[in-house]
Amino acid sequence: MGEGRAVEQVLKLRNLKVVFPTDYGLIRAVEGVDLDIYHRECVALVGESGCGKSVTSQAVMRLLDSPPALIRMDVLEFDGRDLTQCTEAEMQEIRGKELAMIFQDAMTSLNPVMTVGNQIDEMYRRHYGDSKQAAREKTVHALELIGIPEPKERANSFPHQLSGGMRQRVLLAMAFACMPKLIIADEPTTALDVTIQAQVLKTLRGMQRGCGTSLLLVTHDLSVVAKMADRVYVMYAGKIVEKAPVKELFTNPHHPYTVGLMAAVPRLTDEKKKFTQIPGTVPSPVHKPSGCYFHPRCEYATERCRREMPRLEPMGRDRQVRCFHPLGVGGKSSD
Amino acid sequence: MTEIMTLRNVSVHFPVRGFLPFLKKGEIQAVSDVSLGVRRGEIFGLVGESGCGKTTLANTMVGLVKPTAGQVLFEGVDLHSLPREEFKKTRRRMQMIFQDPFSSLNPRFNVYQLVSEPMVIRGEDDEETMKARVVELLEMVGLSAQDLYRYPSDFSGGQRQRIGIARAISLNPTFLVCDEPVSALDVSIHAQILNLLLELQERLNLTYVFISHNLADVKKMCDRLAVMYLGKLMEAGDADKIFARPLHPYTQALIAAVLDIYFSEEREIVVLPGDTPSPINPPPGCRFWQRCPKAMRGCKTVPPAFLEVEEDHFVACHLVNGFPNQDLPEGFDQPMVGREKVPGR
Repeated sequence: MGEGRAVEQVLKLRNLKVVFPTDYGLIRAVEGVDLDIYHRECVALVGESGCGKSVTSQAVMRLLDSPPALIRMDVLEFDGRDLTQCTEAEMQEIRGKELAMIFQDAMTSLNPVMTVGNQIDEMYRRHYGDSKQAAREKTVHALELIGIPEPKERANSFPHQLSGGMRQRVLLAMAFACMPKLIIADEPTTALDVTIQAQVLKTLRGMQRGCGTSLLLVTHDLSVVAKMADRVYVMYAGKIVEKAPVKELFTNPHHPYTVGLMAAVPRLTDEKKKFTQIPGTVPSPVHKPSGCYFHPRCEYATERCRREMPRLEPMGRDRQVRCFHPLGVGGKSSD
Repeated sequence: MTEIMTLRNVSVHFPVRGFLPFLKKGEIQAVSDVSLGVRRGEIFGLVGESGCGKTTLANTMVGLVKPTAGQVLFEGVDLHSLPREEFKKTRRRMQMIFQDPFSSLNPRFNVYQLVSEPMVIRGEDDEETMKARVVELLEMVGLSAQDLYRYPSDFSGGQRQRIGIARAISLNPTFLVCDEPVSALDVSIHAQILNLLLELQERLNLTYVFISHNLADVKKMCDRLAVMYLGKLMEAGDADKIFARPLHPYTQALIAAVLDIYFSEEREIVVLPGDTPSPINPPPGCRFWQRCPKAMRGCKTVPPAFLEVEEDHFVACHLVNGFPNQDLPEGFDQPMVGREKVPGR
């Protein structure tokens, strides 16, 4: 979605900061993240574990407990409403109905002692005040839409009677139940097998397009991003390091971390017995390096990178990069 | 090349019991009738989705699980025919690296205790020798002597996996089973650990069995591989041959399901429909027939033979091998359509 186009903005987040005080010192999980999501688009938030991507999504849902978390943000607007001013009761009205979430592990996010049908019924009864029968009819329809065979019978199953892929589908049905404006999917397919992952992704994409929902896809998997997203934010150690439309990101990544991440994903076409690696490890959230957080692992790092944190600078149309020496720009090659 | 590990018609079945322990409800056929050989010095891949029996098969190889039927030969000797002492001695030469570096290291042991434990069990008691050996091992896996007295909680996932590797090679094994060694790790650490494994293999002349569900990793790591589905081998042999010409529909589906990270305009997601069926009392025919896009009527009842179609390339599929000459159901070579494939009908 280009800027200047008259597209409705669903989510606007400015300068989100989340800090967790611990015995070992302050953990700066998120350091000034901006996020924009427009109508009907799929935005991916990519990063490795500990980069703050899940904390960001939970802060948007206002699901982070404070204390312990210390949360600051300048703007959190959802569908034109200021969520920072909402009470918990108002948030409960919004959550599930207009702003839904899909978690990674379907087994732990479903109630094990309730049938899946009853759990989806709850959505309709809570948000629309439907009767038991009316809710169940809608539930069966929702399960059918999501591609569950024999939806009527399946609705009476308990989570443990379903396979992993089936459970994830139940979560999808639940998320799409009230046709929300925005769905946040936190690693929706990470726990699944490859063939099941493909099924669930295809269903998710079909539902998202069919319902006109916006999707924030939180993931570490760039191959999922390549298939699903319209725009991508790459996060590293609590900061956005690159923001770009998906095609531009994959054809011409600018930040050395993005380049390294892409090279590190093995492909079927690669040569044998050699893996491209990013040296070093993700910095500890308590002791982040000086200057650019990526400089200890970056082969292009200079003295300036060690001293100064680069800013997120615009770089072409709808792209931003946090790097003093972006790759693939002005004749420099990214290889 | 000689085979270091040979499995002959190995089956591993686990009983499923009812509410009274002596009422046997059925059997989980985790591994059924698997024969394969791992050659000395190679990396042998074991591929399949969760529940297909690849971990059980690996546990059987190192003697952690006793097969219900069949033989496990390590360097030509039947593991389970050995007397107890000999069995223990033999098992030292085979070690395992586990998937989850968080639960496979005792949090109350420091690195020195973790890595030296196998030596202690072997009967080594000289602290100085052990310490020197542990430091040597740590340096081999990219850690240092400074880490000796730190605890697992001080390390990241990748570093913990390095500790697990140091522990596995501490008794100079020749045969190492790596059970999904990188699937719990971050993408950027992934490659580091795989490179380390390759480097150690060359340096210490190791043979690996590399278990993974990630086909791209398997393709890059392995010399030979076996594809498993619901306890049976679907396809096995030379890795280059299988990737160049996958013959079994399941192998083809697995390769197609690998999402490439190249961006393409059409962004097609290839889908293999259906779920893995339960391994409790599986059907008599081909185990893949319910999900197979090319299933024929005969596939449901006639089990396919596991045959060599070209040198070092085995497949179990009627499409490739043809049906055997026995009494076949009517229309056995007709494709199945629509509701015929719905399970339980």
